[in-house]
Amino acid sequence: MAGRMSLYIFYISNFLLLLCLTASLMQSSKIINNKIFTRPGVIVLAYVQLISILLSFLILIYLFLISDFNFDLVYFNSHSEKPLIYKFSGVWGNHEGSMLLWILILVLFNFLFALSRRISERFKEITVAIQSIMIFGFVAFLFFLSNPFVLNQNNFFDGIGLNPILQDPLLAIHPPVLYVGYVGFSLVFSLAIAGLITKEVDRQWASIVKPWVFSAWAFLTAGIALGSFWAYYELGWGGYWFWDPVENASLMPWIAATALIHCVLILQKRNVMQSWTIILAILTFSLSLVGTFLVRSGILNSVHTFASDPGRGLFILLFIFLILVFSFSLFAYNSEKINKINSMGLVSRGTGIQVNNWLLITILTIVFLGTMYPLATDLLLNKSLTVGPKYYSTTIAPIIILFLFFMFISPRLGWTDTKLYKIIIQLRYLIITSLTITLIISLYFELFNLTEILIIFFSLLLVISSVTASINFNKQNILVRTNLGQNLAHAGFGILMMAVVSNAVYSEERIYNAKVGDNLQLQKYIFSFDKIEQVEESNYNSLKAYFLMKKDGKLIDTFTPEIRFYSNPPTITSEASILHKFFSDIYLVMNVPQDQQSISVRMHIKPFMTILWLGTLMIIFGGIISASIRIGRFDEK
Amino acid sequence: MSSLVKSRLIKFLLSLIIVSIAVLIIIFNLRDNIIYFYGPTELLKISDKQGQIMRLGGLVSVDSFQNETDSIFYFSITDGENEIDVKYEGILPNLFAEDKGVVVEGVYMNDGRFIANKVLAKHDENYMPPEVIETLKKSGKWQGE
Repeated sequence: MAGRMSLYIFYISNFLLLLCLTASLMQSSKIINNKIFTRPGVIVLAYVQLISILLSFLILIYLFLISDFNFDLVYFNSHSEKPLIYKFSGVWGNHEGSMLLWILILVLFNFLFALSRRISERFKEITVAIQSIMIFGFVAFLFFLSNPFVLNQNNFFDGIGLNPILQDPLLAIHPPVLYVGYVGFSLVFSLAIAGLITKEVDRQWASIVKPWVFSAWAFLTAGIALGSFWAYYELGWGGYWFWDPVENASLMPWIAATALIHCVLILQKRNVMQSWTIILAILTFSLSLVGTFLVRSGILNSVHTFASDPGRGLFILLFIFLILVFSFSLFAYNSEKINKINSMGLVSRGTGIQVNNWLLITILTIVFLGTMYPLATDLLLNKSLTVGPKYYSTTIAPIIILFLFFMFISPRLGWTDTKLYKIIIQLRYLIITSLTITLIISLYFELFNLTEILIIFFSLLLVISSVTASINFNKQNILVRTNLGQNLAHAGFGILMMAVVSNAVYSEERIYNAKVGDNLQLQKYIFSFDKIEQVEESNYNSLKAYFLMKKDGKLIDTFTPEIRFYSNPPTITSEASILHKFFSDIYLVMNVPQDQQSISVRMHIKPFMTILWLGTLMIIFGGIISASIRIGRFDEK
Repeated sequence: MSSLVKSRLIKFLLSLIIVSIAVLIIIFNLRDNIIYFYGPTELLKISDKQGQIMRLGGLVSVDSFQNETDSIFYFSITDGENEIDVKYEGILPNLFAEDKGVVVEGVYMNDGRFIANKVLAKHDENYMPPEVIETLKKSGKWQGE
């Protein structure tokens, strides 16, 4: 039987969930301008919602830390011998816990928005009400279909454990960061719906939305980057992006959100594209939900899959369906009323952003079809198949060239009609410089593929142009304040694209079977297999190989790839050993197949990996900077 | 027709044409990059199987594993009904073993042998790829729940 303490915790935590459910219901009723629920006010209820969920989340953390195996969730997902940090991250390393985390963030955004100032009371009420309807739905789902606080009747001595591949410090922060991104778009969605209801989708709406949408976008970017970084050094395949459905599921909302943040900017500056902005806001949040659904439902098989109960997947699917039906009917009903006829010049910044919006939607369609096609054939035709990564790279690359061009040229154009040739003449030195560098690169590194050359050229153009735009002196030689966030993110994207292309072209791989004493070669480096050791750690045993890397007979570094044998649950993982240099990474992984005497070593040279992460960081910081500049400047001209 | 309606109609038709062209290009590209998955029995049934990259999954047959050198391996994949011989050159994953589930990617040759260029990695000893479970169910050899 469960102990008395566990029983108390069981009652308290379930009470807290019900409390939040009630508060959210009262909060949602404010959507109708009624007299019954004017009290308690929005802020009081937001406090109740936040505190009840925060407390139940803290209780869950406590249960994992003290390893209370009376609770099913702890029993199935933790183990007493696990290091403390993984007991902690184990809280969201399972379906129920991650749902609670999701709700916590949902409630947190709701709370922060309820506290924000300079927003009309009615608009705030409606937004919070819509957000609370979602909170209600998710808390009800948690309480009835995936309750984390369920007691068992057995006295389990120890738990089953957390999948060892998830036992990684990076994975302790990857889900929370990604969730802040996904869930951040829930608030943007609520704001969009509130805008539709009040029929006020204008500049002021855009400036309210801006900080939220930019911070959600920055977090989503960071979450995806963390996942990719984890895959790079933990999975041991030498790659950072595999076009795996799970990765695509997070990329799709990102693409939609990237289009959205630019539309919010145009809306703020020019008061145009109201409907399209609303559509993108709805699309982004729906794709965030689709992402969660795909990843968590068990449809895709991966380390991310927790739920195998079809009822849970069905709930999210139903939820997405309701959201789409509700929001698009509201949109159809009210969209004429939010649109105002404001023109933009044909050759203008707005047009450039619009073109790139369409290109982003095209890329989104490509990723969507590639991800859904195998699922559809599996469900409908019972035929299983995979879409090769080449589909994505060959289809997306030509679009990226156009995309980079418009990314480079649009910020240079004015908001009203601009003469293109004048801009080109203005930028002639930039263009000539980029062209020369590209030519030198392509001749020196023997790069003769047109697509690759063009991507390098336009990325370079974008980087140089963004950098020069951010260092802008006025006539008195004083540095003027420029749009740092935008320039940083754009330059980062250019750097990322250059790194991606050169990495794909110049990566090298060698596979050897090695015994102690062998010398293996990779380019100009020699790796001597020095020794192999067995190491015992607290939660696993490992086989560690030592390779001495030498160049011209001189020792440069020691590599220690590892194979780890975990017992709770029994699993084997390969740990890569990576040397990060500025221009390239050297990457060693080993394997010990059964029935074999020697070990297999895979060595990779991965050029520009550091630069690739650097570009990604620049994008993230660009987003953070843009989010923190609160009031946008209006261009009245 | 008023000029507003006319210009809207033209815009609409134009975007419809562009979108359909784009979708067509995407779908053709998609079809070129599809990798089908088969179990041994299914693979033997289909007619135009040569030269196309595909995945093959099942159990590694007991006593079928041989290595020619340190990095060239031979083994058979079975679903309990039919077997296909596989040749693979490369690095085997940690958990590769006889009588365990496996998925390989490669081409099926005229001589009835499957030349694999990839053995897909797994992390968990008890993990069975869902396609393999499906394959074993189809041949009636699946023993799990």
